Amino acid sequence: MTTDAAALQRWTWGLRLSVLLPVLLLLGAAALVSSTNGSLTSLVGANPPPADELEIRRATFHANEISVLVRNPQRDAITIASVTVDDAIVPFTVDGPKRLGRLRSATINIPFTWVEDDPYSIGVTSSSGIQSTIEVPAAFEAPAPSRATFTGYALIGFLVGIVPVVLGMMWLPALRRADPRWLAAFMALTAGLLTFLAIDAFAEALELQASLPSALGGPGLIVLGVAVSYLGLSWTAHRLTKGTPTGDGVAPLAGVGLATMIAVGVGLHNLGEGLAIGSSFALGEVALGSVLVTGFMVHNVSEGLGIVAPVAEGKRRVSSLRLAALALVAGGPVILGAWIGGFITNEILGVFFFAIAVGAALEVVVEVGRYIARRAAGGLTSGAVVGGFLAGLAIMYTTSLLVG
Amino acid sequence: MAASLPVAGLAQAADDPGNGDGPEASAAADHQQGAHVGPDVVAPGERGELDALLIPPPALTAEPGRVRHYEIVAMDRDIEVAKGVFFPAWTYNGTVPGPVMRATEGDILEVEFSNAGSHPHTIHFHGIHPANMDGVFEIVEPGESFTYRFPARPYGMQLYHCHAPPLKKHIHKGLYGAFIIDPPTPRPPAKELVMVMNGFDTDGDGENNFYAVNGKAFYYAKFPIRVRRSELVRIYLANLTEFDLINSFHLHGDFFRYYRTGSTDQFEYTDTIMQCQGERGIIEIDFANTGLFMFHAHQSEFAELGWMGFFDVVDE
Repeated sequence: MTTDAAALQRWTWGLRLSVLLPVLLLLGAAALVSSTNGSLTSLVGANPPPADELEIRRATFHANEISVLVRNPQRDAITIASVTVDDAIVPFTVDGPKRLGRLRSATINIPFTWVEDDPYSIGVTSSSGIQSTIEVPAAFEAPAPSRATFTGYALIGFLVGIVPVVLGMMWLPALRRADPRWLAAFMALTAGLLTFLAIDAFAEALELQASLPSALGGPGLIVLGVAVSYLGLSWTAHRLTKGTPTGDGVAPLAGVGLATMIAVGVGLHNLGEGLAIGSSFALGEVALGSVLVTGFMVHNVSEGLGIVAPVAEGKRRVSSLRLAALALVAGGPVILGAWIGGFITNEILGVFFFAIAVGAALEVVVEVGRYIARRAAGGLTSGAVVGGFLAGLAIMYTTSLLVG
Repeated sequence: MAASLPVAGLAQAADDPGNGDGPEASAAADHQQGAHVGPDVVAPGERGELDALLIPPPALTAEPGRVRHYEIVAMDRDIEVAKGVFFPAWTYNGTVPGPVMRATEGDILEVEFSNAGSHPHTIHFHGIHPANMDGVFEIVEPGESFTYRFPARPYGMQLYHCHAPPLKKHIHKGLYGAFIIDPPTPRPPAKELVMVMNGFDTDGDGENNFYAVNGKAFYYAKFPIRVRRSELVRIYLANLTEFDLINSFHLHGDFFRYYRTGSTDQFEYTDTIMQCQGERGIIEIDFANTGLFMFHAHQSEFAELGWMGFFDVVDE
């Protein structure tokens, strides 16, 4: 204690200043470098001229109007100078200044009597004459945000998210009577399907970040999202098990606690799933027919089974209210995701959501793994566990073909 | 007597309400696709800015052996080819096309050419002249100069352009212009105009992004060319468009006499002509009506990318 106090006393002003000194010197050095105005870098060569090419993110068609969302992907500012539709110069307005700074976006509105189902080529030319073009294979009226589409997305989210999870949970009474080996197999199946979901979300995150300008740091965003959700859930799991008295360190999460963690992991993945459904529908990339909705329903039923598997082992009864809450946590985010994806275009948000889903799913796989290792007979290498895990992967893969 | 034309798949149409293209209709069209003509047209430049390229110096009466002296400087310059779009051009005297040169048949043309640009250039004239005045062999390096001197012949609408390799680059960058040689017997008096059809590939993909006459997209739609109905209108027209095989000129609401190259008195009576690159001719219009008459390339794409203008025909 005395040494600690002495150490604290030694935090004199001089010492505090010495902590700040490197920061101050760094600021000074940075200011010096930027004040040379590029003459330092010119020692090793000249910067190539900027591409001056705007990135066209999407074109949407409304009554007598075409809207084009553009972004400046480069460091230097770009000025929107001219807009063409099918190689004809057209008048346009911009919702803000025509000069776009680094990574700034703008919407270009073009009054135009377009033809339903016709292909269109829309070009945006910068003041230095560089033209970017977006090819629209078939023009169609973009769904405008309305009460009907709002309800529609909610309904689709309910069918795809909550209904299958609830259906899967209805296996709980049967699971309660199942042999312990079968229970272990079902827990392993849960781990298998969560592993599949993690890989799936990771692939989505990678694909989406590839469409971002490199300056937005997509890979870093994924690392950040995965770390935040993985470590955040680890921390939460640790807090949830703190009350459990055990002889050796931290006990594995079990029962309702583990079920909650699985529901959270599944829910975060489903947020991304909803986001994908909403934005695909808004962009007209997916004909969201009844086949697709059915496919997602079949795909998600096993998620409900996974959530109730750890509850089945416990002796205590779980109230149906608590089960309903778990279903909402796991399935509800599809609705939220569909709203976000349907009405807001933000790839950065999309990448981050998918990355969060990856971390969450992985963390829950680890929790489930620890649970199986401690509780299941034969541990992680028993036939039931290995078979269950592979079955989980196989079920997810097979049902994913329905929505591919 | 009203003729009834067949309409496939439709019963007899209801009574035609009359002229569909009344002022209301055109106002609606403006709302949809922007203004066609007048100050609201999106085009670069100020009123009168292109007069030096549009209106040639006056023709002089024949005086064989007289020297016509011109000074031409090649210089790099960013020019505004469409509203807000700048093109890093190579120019003669700072404009694309370059200045209009004019001589009467039998004059000695003397062109003092200096190169203030960053690349080697020449001036190659169309017409009859010695091989050492052809602008092919005497490449003028940056900072150097050369004087072209030869008798101007034959009369007609000629042109000039850079012939330094690579030719395609030196032409599409903007090194070209009109060269008029007047006949010994003067042409009838007229309101004389020069139009050089050109295009600009601003993003370097080998296709033109903008088209124009005299270098500025839609300029003559924003500032229509005012002419008098009583006066003969004579247009010296040349095509210096790179990349596209042909360009064309179409006049609305009237016909004209077209003298191909303008070196003979043979003409064609039409409202649409086409020219390949380097081809040129003389158009003579006697306007029958007053009002706004459009002229443009009859390649719709060129017209909608800037090669479109108007005559404003008035009675005094």
